[in-house]
Amino acid sequence: MKYELVSGFETHIELSTKTKIFCGCTTQFGGEPNTHCCPVCIGLPGTLPVLNREVVRFAIKAGLAVHGEIAEVAKMDRKNYCYPDLSKAYQISQLYAPLIIGGYVELSNGRKIRLHHIHIEEDAGKLIHQHGDTYVDYNRGGVPLIEIVSEPDIRSIDEAKEYVEKLQQVMRAIGVSDCKMQEGSMRCDVNISVRPEGTEEFGTRTEIKNMNSINNIAKAMEYEYDRQVDLIESGGKVVQETLRYDDATGTTSSMRSKEDAHDYRYFRDPDLVTINISREEVEQLRAELPELPADRYKRYVEEIGLPEKDAALLTKYRRISEYFDEASKGVKNPKTVSNFIIGQIFRRTETEADKEIFDVPVTPARLNELVKLLDGGKIRNNLAKSTLEKMLDTGKGALDFISESDMAGLDENALLELCKNAVQGNPKAVEDFKNGKEKAIKALVGNVMKNSRGKADAVAAEAKIKEIINNG
Amino acid sequence: MVTREDVENIALLSKLFVPEEELDGLTKSMQEIVDFANTINNAPASDEGFDNINNLSNVFREDEVVPSFPSTEILKNAPEQAEDHFLVRNRE
Amino acid sequence: MGSIAKIHEMLVGKQLSCAELTKSYLDEIDKSNSVLNAYVNVTPDEAMKTAEAVDKKIAAGEEIGMLEGVPMTLKDNISTKGIETTCCSKILTGYKPIYDATVWELLQNQNAVMLGKTNMDEFAMGSSCETSYFGGAANPFNTNHVAGGSSGGVAGAVGGNIAAYGLGSDTGGSIRQPASFCGVVGLKPTYGAVSRYGLIAYASSLDQIGPITKSVEDAAVVFDAISKQDKRDSTSKGSAKATFDTLDNDIKGMKIGIAREYLDGVRDDVKEAVLEAAKVYESLGAEIVYFDLPILKFALPVYYIIACAEASSNLGRYDGIRYGYKTEHYNGTHDMICRTRSEGFGEEVKRRILLGTYVLSAGYYDAYYKKAQNLRGTIISAFNKAFESCDVILVPTVPMTAFEKGNAISDPIETYLTDICTVPVNIAGLPGVSIPCGFNKNGMPIGMQLIGKSFGEAEILNAAYKYQQAQPDKFMDTKWGVKL
Repeated sequence: MKYELVSGFETHIELSTKTKIFCGCTTQFGGEPNTHCCPVCIGLPGTLPVLNREVVRFAIKAGLAVHGEIAEVAKMDRKNYCYPDLSKAYQISQLYAPLIIGGYVELSNGRKIRLHHIHIEEDAGKLIHQHGDTYVDYNRGGVPLIEIVSEPDIRSIDEAKEYVEKLQQVMRAIGVSDCKMQEGSMRCDVNISVRPEGTEEFGTRTEIKNMNSINNIAKAMEYEYDRQVDLIESGGKVVQETLRYDDATGTTSSMRSKEDAHDYRYFRDPDLVTINISREEVEQLRAELPELPADRYKRYVEEIGLPEKDAALLTKYRRISEYFDEASKGVKNPKTVSNFIIGQIFRRTETEADKEIFDVPVTPARLNELVKLLDGGKIRNNLAKSTLEKMLDTGKGALDFISESDMAGLDENALLELCKNAVQGNPKAVEDFKNGKEKAIKALVGNVMKNSRGKADAVAAEAKIKEIINNG
Repeated sequence: MVTREDVENIALLSKLFVPEEELDGLTKSMQEIVDFANTINNAPASDEGFDNINNLSNVFREDEVVPSFPSTEILKNAPEQAEDHFLVRNRE
Repeated sequence: MGSIAKIHEMLVGKQLSCAELTKSYLDEIDKSNSVLNAYVNVTPDEAMKTAEAVDKKIAAGEEIGMLEGVPMTLKDNISTKGIETTCCSKILTGYKPIYDATVWELLQNQNAVMLGKTNMDEFAMGSSCETSYFGGAANPFNTNHVAGGSSGGVAGAVGGNIAAYGLGSDTGGSIRQPASFCGVVGLKPTYGAVSRYGLIAYASSLDQIGPITKSVEDAAVVFDAISKQDKRDSTSKGSAKATFDTLDNDIKGMKIGIAREYLDGVRDDVKEAVLEAAKVYESLGAEIVYFDLPILKFALPVYYIIACAEASSNLGRYDGIRYGYKTEHYNGTHDMICRTRSEGFGEEVKRRILLGTYVLSAGYYDAYYKKAQNLRGTIISAFNKAFESCDVILVPTVPMTAFEKGNAISDPIETYLTDICTVPVNIAGLPGVSIPCGFNKNGMPIGMQLIGKSFGEAEILNAAYKYQQAQPDKFMDTKWGVKL
């Protein structure tokens, strides 16, 4: 029997506000242990939380970017569980009245992964286990998070990967998070179950906690899918449980211990008041949103006419698409800009991290200048390409490498002179051409191009050479 | 009806040990208090909502960094610490 | 004139120095605290340091504020930087906060002279002060009797003349009940009038800090000083207006309501004293109106459900990792936390944590916590309706007078019933002030409570002051004066 995979994601994303969600400590990543802390975020008795306005705004932006409905009234709840990384023994979160309801993420196959809701909450501190002892650092405690809870709409590992990538792209694009999985600013809990293909009823699900790379998500899901299918095929039953994925062995294992009884006893946090969100504020935040990756992609394909593959490459990272947009301002053919970026600049930004930062030596304004020289017929494509390489090497502008005479173009007489010289200096090629070897003309044109330092128009040169040869 | 299992479960959730010999007594005492709490079931049904005492809303702070405390202060009251961390040894 | 004003006058008039004054209080503490057990931590060095600073100001001819140099105390659940703050629990022994509570910051700015931290029921859970890890506080009127609770130490210190005034906290009556037992004035402000920042939480939606004083004027002065909006407490609003200036307003035509339910089950001597006070009010031109508040019979279970639920969450953080007590022998983190908590918390605290956990746990939340919150809304509406026909409500503070030591703890529910007249005020977030209104045949003080509209502190203190003027003998302030 064939089995269908059914999966839903709970994605935690750290918001890149300057300060923590309930106190003024910095959210900066890292730092010496326990130096980004104050009485509030280490939960000293008597301290009280005060909600960071920017967290609400960032979360609303995130909600709008994934087509969610922004609640008019939202409230904060306490999720009670005792663990050393949680300084108050409860996490301030939202259950009964979250900020954002619904929404979806659209995949390239056209399927929409529906979202159940998005809520705001605080992150926990960090535990380091060494020789059985536990060291606690609360620097990360109180960093604001949004949790994006999807419906169980994901049907394949590829969809899962794309879902996570799309969320990354959109959250980065609107500037609410850097979504660095390796630094823990984006983490996924993956719910997964299987069912015989063609059936409707959901199977029993398991939850793989705290996945921090797309690769691991794929591997863990593959393992868990096989495990569940094998279990069912061999007459067993899937038990609903929480799992951890072991990177080293590539397997999942149960996190259950008799010590954690799971009953979070959610209730309204009496230390925080109601959040009312006016429709005016929502519209104002909507207006502040930049163009979203999906809209950008559409514009690149439909308005600019870029190939889909190129459009996808350019929109994967926010900085690249911003670079492209700026560099193609006012140019005749933006495709040229795209080609330069994908063909040449990408070779200098090999890793995903490089592409994300996209800090290249050539500013978009300088690329724009180069492309405009090309557009205006001042220089030829070959010269433009080699100049861009020099610009990438040195960080200098195009005009540092292209002289006035390079851009002066060739007058009719000069071109004629060069063509004559080419014909005279290459009797073998002329002979070959006369004998019907069409390709031989290329060598002659190449000679003209070389001697003109790239200024000659290859088409005009070819016509002129043919004329000379034919006229004997 | 409060059972021994209920008391064991809520003790675990509360991270409290209840010695075996105290379990029956505590179950009985919890039952009495729960019976007392149950008297609210005789109250007239009410859909009167309660939000917060003064119906306050939208109390925020601005996203401005306030200097954190030195870690020596943060760790000052820790029963045990090592290398600027709070420390829980596996056993003592 | 209240005690605070008298002290102020003496300091300004240089009849005695602030250092002499402070020293005399400290000497008195030395003498009587072994019996009263009001203080759990005396801080003579800090007190003398502040006193000397005040003396310097006076010597330099600078003006000083009303509370400046006046010796006072704080309940041991109000955070004081560098000074041990334990909530009278083993689990917080040795804990020295690294920050000040907002109220203490406000008072320090006025050079208040803190003599030390005072006794209380562990985590403010109790009505007799006897659940304190340091043993109960005695009633200054009869040291075989309890001071009441949970702010028994503050009330005992003020009643026993070893502090001019103090700040307590009131979750279900913890300021008013001990004030009533010790013959002093105790004001529980409107929820949100005083910042809770730095008050170690028992039940966050019910807790309020307020003054315990010898006279109504003193209560007004202290309340006016601490009722400020605080940006560190999202639920704080500050007070609408100063209360001191309107204390002496005429109360002719004021409507004073008596809810019949409040008189049910109240001991005869207490009931008589309260009804006697109503007559005093009539003689002052106020009008007494009777009404019913049948919903109040559910106030006590509603209170215990909400308070215990919030407490079970608030007290989860005491795990032996960041501060306070930690068990000596254990095996693994979970074991460490459970042992620390089981050894560090007393019986009553554990009982309330368990009940709170129970009412919030899966399957019970709707039946208890949600239902109690709904009833809370109903109780608030009932009070609002009552205030359509009266300006203030007059009721007993406690159905009895201070009981003998050791009589409270045996039956928890019986003990909870002593809070029956005080908890409705916390549930509805209203202000209530307890003032003395007589003595029983054994000479133990009886207290009555004036309940006001939300942020109506000025009205209830006005009514209280008028009573105090009419019946000065019932107040310590005039009976004993300032003992020096």
